[in-house]
Amino acid sequence: MTTLRFTPKAARPALALLGLGLVGLAGCQSDINSSAPAPSAGSANFTRYIAVGNSLTAGYADDGLYLEGQLNSYPNILAQQFAQVGGGAFTQPLFTTAQANGSGYLRLTGFTATGSPITARVPGNAGRTTPTAAPYTKYTDAINNLGVPGIRLADIQTPGYGSVLGNPYFERITPDATPLQSYFQRVKAEVASATFFTCWLGNNDVLGYATSGGSAQNASNTNLATPPANTITRTDSFNLKAIRIINALTANNAKGVVSNIPDVTGIPFFTTVGPVVKATLTAKSVPGMVILTGGNPGAATSGNRKQITTADIRDASGGRQLFTLTSSNFIPLVGTATGRPWKYIYGQTGLPAAGFGSYLTSFAIDTTQLFGVTAGNPIPSAFVLDDAEQTVVATATTAYNTSLQNAANAKGLAFFDANAYFRTIASNGYATNGVNNSANFISGNLFSLDGVHPTPRGYALVANEIIKTINAKYGATLPQVNANDYRGVLFP
Amino acid sequence: MQVKSLLLAGGALLAASSGAYASGFQVGLTGQKNVGMGGTGTGLYLDQASQFYNPGAFAFAPTGFQVGGNMAIPRISFRPDGADQGQRTLQNKNVFPFSGFVGFGPKEGKWRLGLGAYTPFGSELHYAQGWEGRYSLTDINLRSVFVQATAAYAITPQLSVGAGLVMLAYGDVDLQRDVPIQAQGSAAPLHAQLTGKADHKLGYNLGVMFKPSDKLSVGISYRSAIDAHVSSGDVTLTNRPASLASSFSATQFDVTLPLPDVYSVGLGIRPSDKLLLAFDANLVGWSRYQNLQFTYNGNLGGAGVTSSSSKREYQDALAFRVGAQYKVTDKFTLRAGTFYDFSCVRDGFVTPETPDADRIGATAGFTYEIGSRFGIDGSFLFEDFRKRSQTQDDLISNGTTDRVAGTYKTTISVPGVGLYVKF
Repeated sequence: MTTLRFTPKAARPALALLGLGLVGLAGCQSDINSSAPAPSAGSANFTRYIAVGNSLTAGYADDGLYLEGQLNSYPNILAQQFAQVGGGAFTQPLFTTAQANGSGYLRLTGFTATGSPITARVPGNAGRTTPTAAPYTKYTDAINNLGVPGIRLADIQTPGYGSVLGNPYFERITPDATPLQSYFQRVKAEVASATFFTCWLGNNDVLGYATSGGSAQNASNTNLATPPANTITRTDSFNLKAIRIINALTANNAKGVVSNIPDVTGIPFFTTVGPVVKATLTAKSVPGMVILTGGNPGAATSGNRKQITTADIRDASGGRQLFTLTSSNFIPLVGTATGRPWKYIYGQTGLPAAGFGSYLTSFAIDTTQLFGVTAGNPIPSAFVLDDAEQTVVATATTAYNTSLQNAANAKGLAFFDANAYFRTIASNGYATNGVNNSANFISGNLFSLDGVHPTPRGYALVANEIIKTINAKYGATLPQVNANDYRGVLFP
Repeated sequence: MQVKSLLLAGGALLAASSGAYASGFQVGLTGQKNVGMGGTGTGLYLDQASQFYNPGAFAFAPTGFQVGGNMAIPRISFRPDGADQGQRTLQNKNVFPFSGFVGFGPKEGKWRLGLGAYTPFGSELHYAQGWEGRYSLTDINLRSVFVQATAAYAITPQLSVGAGLVMLAYGDVDLQRDVPIQAQGSAAPLHAQLTGKADHKLGYNLGVMFKPSDKLSVGISYRSAIDAHVSSGDVTLTNRPASLASSFSATQFDVTLPLPDVYSVGLGIRPSDKLLLAFDANLVGWSRYQNLQFTYNGNLGGAGVTSSSSKREYQDALAFRVGAQYKVTDKFTLRAGTFYDFSCVRDGFVTPETPDADRIGATAGFTYEIGSRFGIDGSFLFEDFRKRSQTQDDLISNGTTDRVAGTYKTTISVPGVGLYVKF
């Protein structure tokens, strides 16, 4: 026995082969960790990370901001990974568990007989249940996640953006002592001690125009300070503010990642309804439709009507015209004499109900004519992002992304090409650990029930892409997360 | 009668190993003497297990009965690609392949008749809870028992031929994976379990042995392919969201698993009365296995989705084996061997159910004879798979994104024991 005890380690495999070392060998787990690089921060420092951005940064999903979405925001996922390499605490303006439903959000309740999803709204419980109700319960502590749903780059220097009449999400985090504080001022205050940041702003400078089907009046505005809702921000204004915020973020030599803007026409909000419309019209041999385009009132002769052919509706086989997700409830009414779509559209304006008649008159709408196929009762502009409007979106997106890229390059920052990434998802999907995710509505796992914002799975993928960007730029070896641990759409 | 008792033994011991010993989900732990010599046997006539390795050689083998079993102790690790949160360890489970053979015939006669039962294919793996590849596979248990009836005839004292009728007598499969669909209020995703029993299928093996002298023997053998087929296996779905009942309506499945044919050549050399050297080469026809296709009696994944197909595209695989035995005394024999086995799974096609890789093995064994008729065989095998990695980009370019990117590493230890009786 004593001789065995002094047997050198190197001799053990030989003994094992003779069957003598059986017990020791069987207990031995094959080890592949030793070849893996240990997580490291590289030249980056994650001691205090702040996230600047809009709804995507806040974790908005299912047409709402609520606790689960906040917990699965990409900045929160990043912060968890940063924590493995010295990252500090990451505070988000979380809704409390008692107010976990936040602003309220959409939930899938089932499918129609033809397989279309049915959603219902889970009411909010964070103090503000309707747009005109009381503001959200405030959260005024110092925070790391400065994602504000709805904010445009155009809005960042607007004083009072968070006042009671302004953006309710920014109002919620605006200190009581400084009700007129702008987003830019708040960012400057939070970034003073930051060592790392992510900045993903600019989506809403084009998204509002797109999701409203380009229906805003005077979309080509000249108001530099605060362009009206659902218009496209001027590119010179965008460029100026992009440089300003990135200068502010890097003023104390913080490193960071700037993300650009995806092409919004690839998201399920625009790609889901059109193919159904096209198939239905084709089956019924309807050659085309009449739509309103732009936001200008006027009669059928004023140039605001547009004929689109059925073949030109975009689906997998081709076509250009995109139908919004918001149109899905009204598409079945095509070919009937109805005013319901217009009641919905008018309701969205928030104007007094008494004005509905004159609204119809201003657009020369005759609800006794057949909806969607007559110049007297066309498809509302808000339901279609037509080819001309798509060109406006594409031009602006390209210009914005040039500004963002230049601003990032000027400061030597990492750059996440979200535009390229989401284009890949739209065309090929994105497989993760045996799961084939895609940009399909409901079934694709990546987009939430509003068709615009990602699911937790989608946000996890965004976090992974940003991690790749950081690793490449700063020589870090941050581990990615298993995106499949984050949910897609939940089914009833 | 012999067949019946062997089958009963099978019922008690039925199991398989995780691809121990040979590429793909071959098990090949047949005959303890052969296992101890690196899996050689095509050019040898050691005992009744020749029925499996080379039915031609069986004509020269001693008559008798033998039964043996092994305990395969796999250690499999997985580290996900890109997301290094440490390696995943399987719930390693020991499995118990077995074999038994009986051979009759006149002691110095020209012919032999034999029966055998063995477990040439199988795999049992249970991955850790929540592992990265859960949507590809969580658990697999693939088991098979083959029985064989063999006849061999020595045409001359130098040349013999033999043939066996092989039947897939028992086979079952239990495949489980998670499906990326989750119900509201459920913490776990949809889980699918496919279980079924294989149809009985027939195959055969053939062999020739040429023995120009007592010092040299050469063997060639062929084992036919068999398509294992499960019809009307059960589909069990748990955590299925109510709203997707019609999209996941399947209750039964059919699947065919092609099992390969094997060409073998072997050499036995006896430099002295005490020493025997063996060399084998095997060519395993895994290229038959191109796709794993399930068909269902209802939907599984959406309206009209009544089948699923997953690329395998296995390639034919070679294995080389060397073994030796040395008769220390009349009662005690020692054995050793080694082998190198090339993987049948191409780069970028590795699946969790068969985390295959090129592998090197070392074996040892002994025989101790008790009296003149009884004896005990012992064997030990250690197998080291080469570490194997595939990236997500590999999977995308191969169209194999239904599996998981990462690195697999496997080692297996297999002790075995057998008893024999000489007639």
